[in-house]
Amino acid sequence: MVSRDQVESVLGRIRPMMQADGGDIELVDVQGNTAHVRLTGMCAGCPSAHMTLYMGVEMALRDEIKEFEELVVV
Amino acid sequence: MRSPASFSPDNIVVGHSARMRAIFDFVKVVSKSDSSVIITGESGTGKEVIANLLHHSSSRRHQPFVAVSCALFSENLIETELFGHERGAFTGAIKDKPGRFEMAQGGTLFLDDIDDVPLSMQVKLLRAIQNRTVERVGGTRSINVNVRVITGSKRDLKKMVAEGNFREDLYYRLNVLPIVLPPLRERREDITVLTDFFFKRFARARGVDAPVVSPAVRYAFSRYRWPGNVRELENSCERIVQTCTCGTVRTGCLAAGVLFGAGDPVPAPAAAELTIGEPSAVSLDDRLREVESNLISWALKVSDGNKSRAAELLSIKRSTLGDRITRCGLQDHAHDADEAVPATADPAAPLAVSA
Repeated sequence: MVSRDQVESVLGRIRPMMQADGGDIELVDVQGNTAHVRLTGMCAGCPSAHMTLYMGVEMALRDEIKEFEELVVV
Repeated sequence: MRSPASFSPDNIVVGHSARMRAIFDFVKVVSKSDSSVIITGESGTGKEVIANLLHHSSSRRHQPFVAVSCALFSENLIETELFGHERGAFTGAIKDKPGRFEMAQGGTLFLDDIDDVPLSMQVKLLRAIQNRTVERVGGTRSINVNVRVITGSKRDLKKMVAEGNFREDLYYRLNVLPIVLPPLRERREDITVLTDFFFKRFARARGVDAPVVSPAVRYAFSRYRWPGNVRELENSCERIVQTCTCGTVRTGCLAAGVLFGAGDPVPAPAAAELTIGEPSAVSLDDRLREVESNLISWALKVSDGNKSRAAELLSIKRSTLGDRITRCGLQDHAHDADEAVPATADPAAPLAVSA
């Protein structure tokens, strides 16, 4: 089981930079080994930003949390 | 052989760093000569760009520029690639084929990845460069070649010579005019101008206006390590221009690798070791000075000697840092942000390229 804190610590590494740009990545929920996040602010409507988020953040989470399975953007 | 990309000396960004300016000044000087040039630098630092610039600034500029990566070919193939072969030299050799040396006749031959040339081939290369003649595989006649040879290497050839992986005689033959290209992380002051240049270029190619770049993106770019150097920066800019939907580059546009890389804390300084064992007298003052000296050295190192940045890292005032540097006797390692590297720095001197 992945904890909220584990996911937050990974997201925390990129959050300051996203916030500096008027955006954020919000952790909505962690269910089992799946995390639900929401992109807010400036980049929320950008399909490219969603792609970046899906691929890059999911990969980073899998790298750092062994049992992590899936990132769902809601 | 690489595709002959269109090249114009005007399409080159020099950057503000003293190191790159020194290199470009040196290129201007040596482009007039015919001596061998060896360009050392990590992958993506622009070895081929410099080779191209050398060729286009020389009197050979109207003759061919042939670039070939020696890493592309197997041990057997590289000989026929460079020297060509005669019909019937081996199965499948159905006609005569000139090698790269002949194709560069009158011009410049850029042999990249020279560090990947096997030892057995190195002696043949030495002969060709020394005698200015080549013999095609399966042929007997010597063909005179008038080419200027420029080589590129990602490893320090001198070290390879010491390890016995590179012939000393070839090394000295090639190492007449050495140019060492610094990795991008060692000339971070150039990242901004390079970023703007690439954004403009890719935007023009796509027929859109150059995007506005947010300060957070600039910050991330300046913190990231760029292991792939300028090539990686160029690719990042291309990707962003192709995917940006709003005309402003924000952190959401960045590849997550860059974001995470930039968000990583700077490597922490090594902690002063405390010896475990017999309790003995410890001078607190000496110990504290040691810790202070270590931390200041670390901060200066990771900020490339920039005192203002180092002071920021240590959460002290810039002026306080100056006093402490003097107190710790670290003066030699630091320089001010606005202080340029001495212009007299010999660009030919190795500028330390990490392998």
